Amino acid sequence: MSQSNSDEEIEEQQGWKVLSDAGLVEIRLDEFAERIRDVKRIVVVRLRELLDFNNGNKERESAAYSLGTLKGLELKVLANAPKPLDPSEK
Amino acid sequence: MNSPAKQPRTDATWPPEEGQIISFKSSTGSETTILKEVRWGLVWRDFILADGRVIPEHRISGCPQPPAKRKISQVTDKEREECEERLFSMAGSGLDPRKRDQAFWAELNQYLAYTYLRFKQTGGPMPGKTQNQATEQ
Repeated sequence: MSQSNSDEEIEEQQGWKVLSDAGLVEIRLDEFAERIRDVKRIVVVRLRELLDFNNGNKERESAAYSLGTLKGLELKVLANAPKPLDPSEK
Repeated sequence: MNSPAKQPRTDATWPPEEGQIISFKSSTGSETTILKEVRWGLVWRDFILADGRVIPEHRISGCPQPPAKRKISQVTDKEREECEERLFSMAGSGLDPRKRDQAFWAELNQYLAYTYLRFKQTGGPMPGKTQNQATEQ
């Protein structure tokens, strides 16, 4: 195997590990809202960095747009969430 | 196969061809079915089954390790925007992502993974997420 192939595989393994550690390889069915919030948090951190350094206009716009998308999806997912059982209906 | 301009890796016998019988792990155990299509998502490949279910490549029997993965830079703005439009459309039509192996579940999963990798360059790790959850489902 060539060195570049090996480097590529190592990079892929690292990428998978990052996603796995973040619980994003296969999101548990009851954790979508939580995972969306986690990803939003990462985007906000990056957006703050970009604003602090006052650079990366395009990335800043893109981060802000992604944040809006995530917020919209979070609201939709929460709106469609199954309602918890009402104890009074038991 | 639907593929981006550059694939991370090619293999002589992988992925299987459309119409082939494949085995994969489902929530009820191991299943065997007909592969309809292999499609690249924003991060990994999804296997579309004849019954419409969407199974991520890493759950298919015989998948090479590590499974192929795209670089963030390989995803175009247009591709990302189209994915966002599909997600909003599916969410707006009342679909629930908590239906495992369905299109909304698969697409939202990949979008969150992609967005996380894209912006995590300098951000810290997410709290409370240290274990491999891929095999716990």
